[in-house]
Amino acid sequence: MTSLLPPPVADTPELRTLRRDVRTFVAGQVAAGAFTPDVDTWLNGFDPAFSRALAEQGWLGMTIPTEYGGHGRTFLERFVVTEELLAAGAPVAAHWIADRQAAPSLLKFGTEEQKQRFLPRITRGELFWAIGMSEPDSGSDLASVRTRAVQVDGGWRLTGTKVWTSGAHHAHAFFALARSAPLDPAHRHDGLSQFIVMLDSPGVEIRPIHSMNGAHHFNEVHFEDVFVPDDLVMGEIGQGWHQVTSELSYERSGPERFLSSYQLLAALVDAPSTGADQQIGQYVARTAALHEMSNSVASALEHHHDVSSAAAVVKVLGTALEGDVADLGDVLTEDDPGDPQLRALVTRAVMHRPGFTLRGGTSEVLRGVIARELGLR
Amino acid sequence: MTTIDTPVSIAEVDPDLIATMREVLSSSAPTPRDPDTGVEFDQALWDQLDELGLARLTGSEESGGSGAGWAESAALLTQAASLAVALPLAEHDLLAGWLLTSAGLPVDADLRSVAVLDADGSARAVPWAPVVSRIVLAWPAGDGGWRVADVPATSVKLTADTNLAGEPRGEITATLDDSEGVPVPEDLIRRLQLRAALVRAVQVAGALERTLDLVTEHVTTRVQFGRPIGKFQAVQHLVADIAAETSLARAAVDAAVRTVATPDVDLAELRFRVAVARSCAGHAASVVVRNSHQALGAIGTTLEHDLHRFTLPALAWRAEYGSTASWDRVVADSALSVGSDGLWELIAG
Ligand SMILES: Cc1cc2nc3c(=O)[nH]c(=O)nc-3n(C[C@H](O)[C@H](O)[C@H](O)COP(=O)(O)OP(=O)(O)OC[C@H]3O[C@@H](n4cnc5c(N)ncnc54)[C@H](O)[C@@H]3O)c2cc1C
Repeated sequence: MTSLLPPPVADTPELRTLRRDVRTFVAGQVAAGAFTPDVDTWLNGFDPAFSRALAEQGWLGMTIPTEYGGHGRTFLERFVVTEELLAAGAPVAAHWIADRQAAPSLLKFGTEEQKQRFLPRITRGELFWAIGMSEPDSGSDLASVRTRAVQVDGGWRLTGTKVWTSGAHHAHAFFALARSAPLDPAHRHDGLSQFIVMLDSPGVEIRPIHSMNGAHHFNEVHFEDVFVPDDLVMGEIGQGWHQVTSELSYERSGPERFLSSYQLLAALVDAPSTGADQQIGQYVARTAALHEMSNSVASALEHHHDVSSAAAVVKVLGTALEGDVADLGDVLTEDDPGDPQLRALVTRAVMHRPGFTLRGGTSEVLRGVIARELGLR
Repeated sequence: MTTIDTPVSIAEVDPDLIATMREVLSSSAPTPRDPDTGVEFDQALWDQLDELGLARLTGSEESGGSGAGWAESAALLTQAASLAVALPLAEHDLLAGWLLTSAGLPVDADLRSVAVLDADGSARAVPWAPVVSRIVLAWPAGDGGWRVADVPATSVKLTADTNLAGEPRGEITATLDDSEGVPVPEDLIRRLQLRAALVRAVQVAGALERTLDLVTEHVTTRVQFGRPIGKFQAVQHLVADIAAETSLARAAVDAAVRTVATPDVDLAELRFRVAVARSCAGHAASVVVRNSHQALGAIGTTLEHDLHRFTLPALAWRAEYGSTASWDRVVADSALSVGSDGLWELIAG
């Protein structure tokens, strides 16, 4: 029988202890007023002080080897820590992309010098990263990016525009995916490369794009002949597509793909007589099952198994659930009378909801990934 | 048959054992089903399973069982569901056999089912009641406790019926005499009910997984407009959602099997995990049954095609031992009782 899922795993006693430690720490932070639990905090909860507090606990750069200043811990340990932080609605956005994506990519494709330069600072919570993939004309069809990289003496010059760059106005660097060789329509994935762009480089212009709730979260990042020295080329020239896609399972299967609105679900559990017990129960059940799935994918990633379709399954189901929770909150609550705090949480969840099933690969594209795994395409 | 290391999940069960299960069950799969009278009990297959030690997988070796655990048993139920073999495997072993042993009563090879009676001595939809030779009854006694007794099926009044999938079911009424039952703690009855509910979730997951296979096979071979229909994105999305929901049900069921296989597991913990499995499997069945029939077209609605051998049981099973909605509410009750502060611990441990 077809199963897209890796085998199930259960927490070891050590992992359970780690969970308890994170839970105690976070509860202490909430009690001390360090943060107020919220929804969608991995993309919007920007709080460098909290990131540094986590770094002091040893909970950033966990899977980075100690020789690069990291903690040399397992992928499952990192899973437990991040899952606890997300469930608690903690503000982890500042370091999120650096810790989740930049570090593993650097470890896999970066030069020794790049690892020495960036990884210790990521672990200390001092270096924040963004994602430089999408462009005005390249969303789901990422291979169509048009930012051009032209080789010059000692490096490359980049010209083009990245868009929807979350937190670029706070971040220090990103990997820019650019076309380093002319497009060959027969081999669209060739000729793409990744460059580490320091966002304070001359010629980089970061312009805000305001979200519908007025927040400044997104940016447009424009490059005008930006010089990137050879020592900041990421991996191999021409291997950009392979590099970008090989990290997608990390990005798609994590607990941030089903816990973005968890704080609202928890609040609905406390809300007096919503009359929607059945639906709340259904969503709690799905959350529990997604916790199992995401955990098993994390374990498989630890063993370097290909879990791209399992990751797609987690993301399709998990992000739909996140949206359903937001909508249920909206259906159940009203502006007046009602609980203003709960309503405010609902409002934030509803505002962020459309992004859940778009960012990191849309649900439609991911269903295509699943269908391919099943041999349909 | 002996097991050395006790596996806690189906994924850890010895592949050779699963291959044996499959081979034996395949030999007379699918179980014939008459649309009017339902499925008949396949005595020959049962005897074969009994001989191989698969009919009393989880019974202790002293009592003639194989000394295996929930994981092996769940693997067997999954294989049976995915091959459309209808047999009282769970009822005989995981439920009736377990209840007898737990109540300190003797067990033998007679085919058994189990029923939790109401105060009037009745129970509805008792699985395989028209087929089994004995039924293990549990009932609330006059003194507020519970009693268990092992009675011949002929001693109860039976109105035979079938479920949606044609499996034998029956309404039974027994004349109760508290002094004829062995007193058991209420906790045992609650566990029995949770085990029964989990059995159905295990079966649903197996049926859904096979449905995914049938659909995949169909959409990659059926040609319309000059290409396999699986090339159409609309169809791909139907199938992707079948795969996703089936995976979710599988994850929830595996977690519940792991929980029930844990010695002395806390009742509240078991109730939550079983309820999660029933909720996820129950709702998964909605999507899988709808999408699979949509993807199969008219042929999928016929007696001739195998699809109904999996979709009908999935629907039948999710409606037994509590509706999907009732299990949603059990999850909600668990959540409400711990509140938002305890919710995450309930979910993640
Ligand atoms: C909150 C948020 C944060 C983000 N952060 C970043 C970031 O930091 N860095 C970054 O680079 N990008 C970021 N993105 C961009 C994100 O990656 C894109 O939104 C996503 O890839 C979809 O691209 P698009 O928005 O251009 O939509 P499009 O690709 O134009 O898609 C629009 C619709 O068409 C559908 N569609 C497109 N192609 C197909 C197809 N082949 N089959 C079926 N349906 C299809 C899509 O599913 C979608 O429903 C972010 C997006 C959001 C919402």
